[in-house]
Amino acid sequence: MLNSFRQSMAWVHTWFGLVLGFVLMVAFFFGALSVFDREIDRWAIPDTRFEPQPMPSYDDLLKQVFADLKPHPLDMAATAERVIGDLPAPDTMPMVGLFAYTTHRDPVLRIGAEFDIPNKPKDPADDHLHVHGWATIDPRTGAALADDQLKIGSDWFYPMHYSLQLNWKNLGIFVVGLAALVMLVALVTGVIMHRKVFKEFFTFRPHKRTQRSTLDLHNMTGVVALPFHFFFAFTGLVIFASFYYFPVSGTLLKPLHDRHEVVEAEHTGLPHDEAGVPAELASVDAMVVEAKRIWAERDMAGEVGLLMIEHLGDANGYVSIYRAGSDRVALVGEGIHFKASTGEVLREEPPSDPVGAVNQFLTGLHLQHFEHWTLRWLYVVGGLLGCICIATGFVFFVEKRKQEHARRGLQGCRLVDAMAVTTVTGMVLAAVAMLVANRLLPEAMPGRGDWEKWTFWGVWLLCLLHALWRSAPVAQARSNPAWREQCWVLALACIAAVLLNWVTTGDHLLKTMLLDPYWAVAGVDLSLLACALVSTLTARRLARTVEVRSATRMGGVAYE
Amino acid sequence: MMVSASRGAIIARILAAVFGCYAFVWAAVALGVTALHGAGMEYHAAEQAMMMLAFLLYLGLFLWAFAAASVQRVWLVLAVGSALMLAAAWQLQRMIIG
Repeated sequence: MLNSFRQSMAWVHTWFGLVLGFVLMVAFFFGALSVFDREIDRWAIPDTRFEPQPMPSYDDLLKQVFADLKPHPLDMAATAERVIGDLPAPDTMPMVGLFAYTTHRDPVLRIGAEFDIPNKPKDPADDHLHVHGWATIDPRTGAALADDQLKIGSDWFYPMHYSLQLNWKNLGIFVVGLAALVMLVALVTGVIMHRKVFKEFFTFRPHKRTQRSTLDLHNMTGVVALPFHFFFAFTGLVIFASFYYFPVSGTLLKPLHDRHEVVEAEHTGLPHDEAGVPAELASVDAMVVEAKRIWAERDMAGEVGLLMIEHLGDANGYVSIYRAGSDRVALVGEGIHFKASTGEVLREEPPSDPVGAVNQFLTGLHLQHFEHWTLRWLYVVGGLLGCICIATGFVFFVEKRKQEHARRGLQGCRLVDAMAVTTVTGMVLAAVAMLVANRLLPEAMPGRGDWEKWTFWGVWLLCLLHALWRSAPVAQARSNPAWREQCWVLALACIAAVLLNWVTTGDHLLKTMLLDPYWAVAGVDLSLLACALVSTLTARRLARTVEVRSATRMGGVAYE
Repeated sequence: MMVSASRGAIIARILAAVFGCYAFVWAAVALGVTALHGAGMEYHAAEQAMMMLAFLLYLGLFLWAFAAASVQRVWLVLAVGSALMLAAAWQLQRMIIG
């Protein structure tokens, strides 16, 4: 496109990296937080600060919990728009399928169910027509968590990581997908631009002028963690590929796919359709015992991670029990299927074929529900290195151009710099402000979770306005004081969150680390303090840079 | 830096890289799944294999859309390639189902 191949690649790196970089920043930062999503949930919902629990008894506890579970009003409303005529009353809908899912880090249990409806769909191709219900329960008692208790880690930061919370037409998932592709592109073009990749591994000159040391840091964090960045961008795309990005099986190849499903059902012996004859459910606990016995026989004794029932209440119903992948990379596996009415084993899943095994390994390594705390922290480090790489990319973009923009009276750098402030300090501040709000809002306040969400968006928007308002110096080739100011506010917010956690729950760090260790909460508190420390140091360093600059300007010495 | 490329040509390349390549990869996935399944591979294995290859193909095509000398040729290859592969996937599917 341009004069040379390398120039074209540099153009792609600069401009795609800049535009999608703002999205990548969100994906990397909230991805790093999602590594500890369950632990952030514990911090945000003090009632759930107890030890992780195994899958509870179905016969004694879950059976009654599912009997009480109703279609969720949100999904009732969503489904009502897709069907002809009014939906029947939620109490009359029969439950036809259910699941319960847990991991080695979950004190609480996520459950969900499908309810059958007689309505016809508006779109004849809409063939998965059920109303869903869901809840999170305390597996020790069966009591449901209040619906407006927002799980900030797993229901806010985690979806932010892959969807930006833009749910309209799954727009966010596609934007993040494009950003992930651009991450791959940026890595390849970055290597093409800089031929001295090996040398850059060891090059960081923090005391050179900002433009040089920023570029060093950009190259170093990009190169050191290059396999990490490539792997996560790539596997993230693969996880969503067949459902969102290339849904060939649901569209062009639907005839082929559906034919295969029927053939597969014959092959596996698991009924594809209902029989239409009602049937009782045998003891599920007995099936769990049998599943565990089969796993132990294969020399892989383990706990239940996922329990599902298909065609519930029908003669064709079957119970599927999957082994939790705590000691394996694959999420859940070794599924064993039982006939629901008798408890006889219908099928033991064979080991995956090679392609499936590779796929499960890649996606499992991205989603990591296995038990390995060192690796878990390395993921956080990798994610934050990615953030540094992207953020220094913004800073370098601005530093390289701002003298020229100032001379020519252009505003481009000013805008990019304000956006960078918003997606670096502003984003972190929004996340921490949400935690502060979580501890400040009254416990019994209706719609509490929604207020937390509004705090998040509100603070982020304020950070954008603040960054724009303070951005005028950039147009004169100086730096935006918003960087420094937001660092200070962030440091205060982090400390406030830790103190508020102490005041409102009594769980101070001495207790959660030593007296009565609960590392999920201690870890969040310690991370907040680390964030406070880093932002304080950054704010002070930025203040010093400003002083040095004005001194050199006054002395009339060219600043190098 | 912005030499020898008009604004229109740059926009044409950006659209080709993002949307043109997407369509091409979509069609390649459809044809790949059908062909692999037709050759005896289990359906979901074929699907997963193509999903993993898809993004490496997308990455390569994306860079090519900017590196290639002629943007017209990029669009020609992407458009004709996508159409042919989609038609082939459809035809092959009909032959397999019979």
